[in-house]
Amino acid sequence: MTALGWGRRFLLCRPVHFTVAYEINPYMHVQVHPDPDVALAEHDGLVTTLRTAGAELEFLEPVAGLPDLVFTANAGVVDRDVFVPSRFLHPERQGESVHDIAWFSARGFHVSPLAGDEPFEGAGDVLPFGADPAATRGPVLVAGYRTRSSVGAQTNLSALLGVPVRTVELVDERFYHVDLVFCPVDERRALIAPQGLDRYGCRVLEELVPEPLWLTDDEASSFCANSVVVGDVIVMPSCTPRLGRILEDAGLSVAVSPVGEFLKAGGGCRCLTLALDVDLSAAGRPDSQRVGQSADEGLVHELP
Amino acid sequence: MSAADQGVTSEIVRLDGHVVDSLLLAKVLDTIVDAGASYEILELEMGTTSLDESHVRIRVSAADEPALDALLAEVQVHGVNREDASDAEVVAAPVDGVLPAEFYSTTNLVTWVRVDGRWIQSGRPEMDCALVVDPAPSTAGADVGRVRMVPMHRVHAGEQVVVGWRGVRVENPTRADDGDTFGFMTSEVSSEKPKAVSLARVAASIRDARHRRERGAGGGRVLAVCGPAVVHTGAAPALARLVRDGWVQLLFAGNGFATHDIESNVLGTSLGVSLGEGILAEHGHANHLRVINEVRRFGSIAAAVESGWLGGGVLYECVRAGVPFVLGGSVRDDGPLPDVISDTVAAADAMRARLDDVDVAVMLATTLHAIATGNLLPAGVETYCVDINQAVVTKLADRGSHQALGIVTDVGLFMGELADRLCGPEQQPGP
Repeated sequence: MTALGWGRRFLLCRPVHFTVAYEINPYMHVQVHPDPDVALAEHDGLVTTLRTAGAELEFLEPVAGLPDLVFTANAGVVDRDVFVPSRFLHPERQGESVHDIAWFSARGFHVSPLAGDEPFEGAGDVLPFGADPAATRGPVLVAGYRTRSSVGAQTNLSALLGVPVRTVELVDERFYHVDLVFCPVDERRALIAPQGLDRYGCRVLEELVPEPLWLTDDEASSFCANSVVVGDVIVMPSCTPRLGRILEDAGLSVAVSPVGEFLKAGGGCRCLTLALDVDLSAAGRPDSQRVGQSADEGLVHELP
Repeated sequence: MSAADQGVTSEIVRLDGHVVDSLLLAKVLDTIVDAGASYEILELEMGTTSLDESHVRIRVSAADEPALDALLAEVQVHGVNREDASDAEVVAAPVDGVLPAEFYSTTNLVTWVRVDGRWIQSGRPEMDCALVVDPAPSTAGADVGRVRMVPMHRVHAGEQVVVGWRGVRVENPTRADDGDTFGFMTSEVSSEKPKAVSLARVAASIRDARHRRERGAGGGRVLAVCGPAVVHTGAAPALARLVRDGWVQLLFAGNGFATHDIESNVLGTSLGVSLGEGILAEHGHANHLRVINEVRRFGSIAAAVESGWLGGGVLYECVRAGVPFVLGGSVRDDGPLPDVISDTVAAADAMRARLDDVDVAVMLATTLHAIATGNLLPAGVETYCVDINQAVVTKLADRGSHQALGIVTDVGLFMGELADRLCGPEQQPGP
């Protein structure tokens, strides 16, 4: 396997104020409260698993009254030193953005808001895939739209970052973010839950992903796609024997990190992390153009 | 709404972005077709690299405005946006009977006006009018205003009149397939067309109208517009049968037709010519004046029927059957008959006021009244123009009534056959 070029540094947020205080996805029920101690223990377990896999972690300060701040994947999208903050669809989460922006600003990121006013929910709805190690082809953004992010916002993101985008419609509200149906595993493989896509979306991902790993209904609905890949380790909320064998045959080792309390709010391992080391700069530029790029654009180090 | 009213409405939309690689364009086009609508790609600018956005302009056509709205709302989620998304601009009429200088001049097509972001259908279409936007009543539950087509002389100071072109859309009438009951949008007219086919079409239209009327779903009234030649050529008894048997619900004519219809029934002549023998009756040249004079003595045509003095003819049947008629005057009228409205603006208003639910119009051997009526009719009204003179049909079409189907033939023979088809063969008196 050719490991992903990103996924060694993540942003997390400890679930100090985590609860289910409102219902904005089919998993949330205000009567079903997560156990705070179990949630903290599960989060600690995830932290340990990620660090064991070799990941470097940073932490966002929890904020009272923002229970979903733990789902850092939705904070925005990172490309090198650029942070594109989310524009949350639901008012319940809109208060998170100011804290996300403050954290990234304080660490020297350029904060580049998206043009327009359409909703956009960050890395939860945008995942890079398929940077070619030979650098003949940069990554493409796989972007979900309809339930949380709009197709117009994804187009604007593509223009802002200069990265081609493949927008796929999320047709089942159980899979309300693209990180519930799509998970890049390495530069040739990705987990795909066709249950959350229409035939156009499936076709687009078939074209894009040389070796798609299709999830069964059970795997899709138990959040298998909401996994985090750190080098050759895949950290999953759950895994079936079938999928485990496939992933191990592909050269990965599977680490299951239970996050049952967070599933009550509709989030798994991926939702609890935001990759900070994403570099989209090789995006779709042919060799001839790439050679002419200057070093300060961060391209040269990618050349073999 | 009659079949003829089922127009096609369209909207130009844009789709921008990585719409080809993401199969968004394919999905949008499939969605349009699956909804029973159609599309035409007006512009397609493909991105030349994987980073470039593609830009597509598409004309989307659907059966009617609600269907189009629903479809565009469905595809909007895929990034499809209307190209024209602005409200209509309105300016207050300065004084009674005067429009703002840049007023939008209407066509006879179904028209929609965008007010506060919503498309509102105007009332009955009429060409050469203005669009007046009435504000939503503040007390009633309705949250949208109303749009009316108002002729220039009827506008009141302060009414909000649409100006310019933005925020106004018109629906194109459907082009019916060959073999359908009504060949729409055909101003083609030829004296060499088979008359039996045209006759069958007119008869089918009138029959369909009766079905619509009897179902009570609105529409289905048939309008006959008559010139004096209807009487001269001997077509009046056939028309009278059609009125008597309930095939005609409204009649427009002038002083001439009404006078000769009455003259022929009272004196047996039309403009003094004996309808039985075809020769000028003795002192016949004054017959029509004597008839007008008598009706003026009665005070109205209805009174003349009531008294028993007038015992037959088209207007007699109209009075008996309660079919309303509007007689519009002209500057050369003799008399005129007391029912004739000699103020032409008032006559047009009287005609306008009776057009609701009319969806078939048959113009019979008349130029002036055919054009006057054509000016008032929505394009969705199935309109037939029967005249021996090809130029009449052409004139009608040239003045905007493109929906008119011309039938170049002698109205006398045509009406006799039409009445036979609809009312059954006339009972011949026994030997």
